[in-house]
Amino acid sequence: MSVSHLRSFAILASLLASFANAKAEEPVLNVYNWSDYVAKDTLERFTKETGIKVKYDVYDSNEVLDTKLMTGKSGYDLVFPSATPFFAQQVKAGAYLKLDKKKLPNAVGLDKMVMANLTRSDPGNEYGLPYMMAATGIGYNVEKVKSLLPDSPIGSWKMLFQPAVLEKLKSCGVSLLDTPTEVIPAMLAYQKRNPVSENPEDLDAAVAELISLRKYYKYIHSSKYINDLANGEICVALGYAGDLVQARARGKEGKKKQEIAIFIPKEGAEVNIDVMAIPKDAKHPENAHRFIDFLLRPDVIADITNETGYANAVLASSKFIAPEIKSDPVIYPPAESQAKLFTMPVASKDYERSRARAWTKFRTAKK
Amino acid sequence: MKQSRFPLSLLMFGYAFLYAPIALLVLYSFNESRLVAVWSGLSLRWYGELFKDERFLEAAWLSFQVAAISATLALLLGTLAALSFDRNRRFWGRSMFGFLLNVPLVLPDVVIGLALLLAFVEAGKAIGWPAERGMSTIVIAHATIATSYVVVVVRARLSDLDRSLEEAALDLGARPFAVFTSVTLPLLTPALLAGWLLAFTLSLDDVVVAQFVTGPGATTLPMEIFSSMRLGVSPKINALGTLLAAAAAAAVWIAWRLQCRRR
Repeated sequence: MSVSHLRSFAILASLLASFANAKAEEPVLNVYNWSDYVAKDTLERFTKETGIKVKYDVYDSNEVLDTKLMTGKSGYDLVFPSATPFFAQQVKAGAYLKLDKKKLPNAVGLDKMVMANLTRSDPGNEYGLPYMMAATGIGYNVEKVKSLLPDSPIGSWKMLFQPAVLEKLKSCGVSLLDTPTEVIPAMLAYQKRNPVSENPEDLDAAVAELISLRKYYKYIHSSKYINDLANGEICVALGYAGDLVQARARGKEGKKKQEIAIFIPKEGAEVNIDVMAIPKDAKHPENAHRFIDFLLRPDVIADITNETGYANAVLASSKFIAPEIKSDPVIYPPAESQAKLFTMPVASKDYERSRARAWTKFRTAKK
Repeated sequence: MKQSRFPLSLLMFGYAFLYAPIALLVLYSFNESRLVAVWSGLSLRWYGELFKDERFLEAAWLSFQVAAISATLALLLGTLAALSFDRNRRFWGRSMFGFLLNVPLVLPDVVIGLALLLAFVEAGKAIGWPAERGMSTIVIAHATIATSYVVVVVRARLSDLDRSLEEAALDLGARPFAVFTSVTLPLLTPALLAGWLLAFTLSLDDVVVAQFVTGPGATTLPMEIFSSMRLGVSPKINALGTLLAAAAAAAVWIAWRLQCRRR
C-alpha cells in the first residue's frame, strides 16, 4: 500500500470514528453550575427542543469546581467558571476542549468588547464564551450622602478616593473591599492610570495614595458592608454588583427604610465574567455545544438575565429584557462606563507578590 | 433551705443558647417577607414555594437516601469492628487498629474529601470502577466517616455490658449465635440506635466531603443550599430547616420512646 493510500485510509478511519462518536452520544448533558443560575424553564425548553436530558448539578465556590477539573474525570460536560483567575488558570493548565465555532452559530451575536476582555484569560477566545457578568461598583445611602455633601461626585471614583469628599462623608462611614485585586485597579482608574498595569511605579503611586486616605475608611472588609449599607451603619461602600443589589433590596424592606443607590464608576471598573466552557474529558461535547448555542439565543439568555439580575453579552437580547433591569445602571451600566469595564489579567508571580506586600502595608497603615 | 436560682438560670441559659436559633428559624419560616430577617406577617408562602421547587425536593430525597444507606452500612461495619475489639483483647496490632479507627474523627473534612476523591479517580483508572462518581461514591464516603463514630458509641456501651449475662446464657446451653441475637444485641440496641442516628445526621449535613466525591446527577441538599446563597438566602431555606428539625426531633423522640418501653 502506498503512503497516499495509507493516508486516505487514516482519514477515512478517523472520519468514520468521529461520525460514530457523534452518533453514539447519548442524549444526556451533565451541567455543573451555580444554583438558580438559569431561568426556571431554560432546561425544560432545551430538552423539549432537542430531546437531550440535562442533569444540573451545583457547586458553591469556584474552588470546588477547580478541584474537580484539576483532578480530571469530573464527569461534567459544561461548566461555568469565573473568567479570572480560575478560567484563565484552567485554560493554561489545558483543562478545556477547544470550542468548535461552526457548531455555535449564535456566538456571532456576542458583544465584541466583552470578547476582547475575555482574551486576557483565553487568548483567541478558543475555550470559553461569556455567560453572565457583573461589575464592581459603589453603593451609597442617598439621603445621608445628600445631607452631608449635596453636590457629591456621583458616578465617579471620587466618591471613594477624593480627600475633600471623604472628609465630609467620613462621619457616616465609608468602606472598601478587602481585596487588592479590586481596590488597586479602582485607585489606578481614579488616578487616570492603566487599571491593569503591572508597572511597579503605578503600584507604588496607587498604594501611596491609598495609605494617605486610610484614616477616612471605617473598615476594609469584603462582606460586612452588605448589611451595614442596608441598615444605615455606613453610607458609601465599594462592593460587588450582586451584593450591592442585595443591600439595596434589604434597605428597602428594613424597618428603618434606607434608600441605597448604586453606580459603576465612569472612569472604568472591574467586571467579573462567568464563562461557559467544556472540560477536556467531557463525554458529551456535542450536546454541550448545542446547549451553549441554545443559551446564546437572544430570547433564551434574556430570560436568564431577567430572572437572575445579571447582565449577558448577547447584544440582540436587549429587546427581550425587562425595562427595569435594562435601565438599572448596576446591571447595564451607561455606555460611558460600559466602554471602560475591564477584566483583570492573571498577574505574574512577581507582581502578585509585590501587590500582596503593598496591600499589607495599606491594611496596616495608621488610621 | 432555699435553693439557689443560679443553677436553674444557668441551665435555662444553656438551653436558650442551644434552641433559640432554631426557634428563630422556625418563626421566620412562617414569615411573609422575601427577606430572611425582616418580619412582615404570618404566612405559609415559603412552604408552598418549597414544595414547588423540584430541585430542592430532589436534592432532599437524594440526601435522605444517602443518609439512610450510609448510616446502615456504617452501623453494620462499626458494630462488627466494636465487637471484635471488645471480644479479642489480644491480637496483633490491636492498639494500632484502634488508633486508625479513631483518625477519621479528628481528620478535617477537606482532607478526607480530597483523599477519597483521589482514591475514586485512581480506582476508576485502575479497575474501571467507579466509572462515574455520584450517589454511590457519596454513600461510601459517608459510611467511611460514620463508621468511626459508630465504633465509639458501640464500644462505650460494650464496655459497660455485664458479661455475666452472656456467660449465664452459655451455661444454660445457648449456642453462641443465639446468645448474640437474644442477649447481646438487645442489650446493645440503645447504642445501635444512637449510632445509626448519629451517622444519619452526620451524612445529612455534610457538604465538604460530598462536594468532593459527588458526580453528575447527584446534588445533595446541603450543596443545593450553599450554592443558592450566592443570590442571597431565600426564606425557603427557613421552611426547609423547620421541616428537617421537625423530622429530626420526631426521630429522636421515637428512639427515646422505644428505649423507655424496653426498660
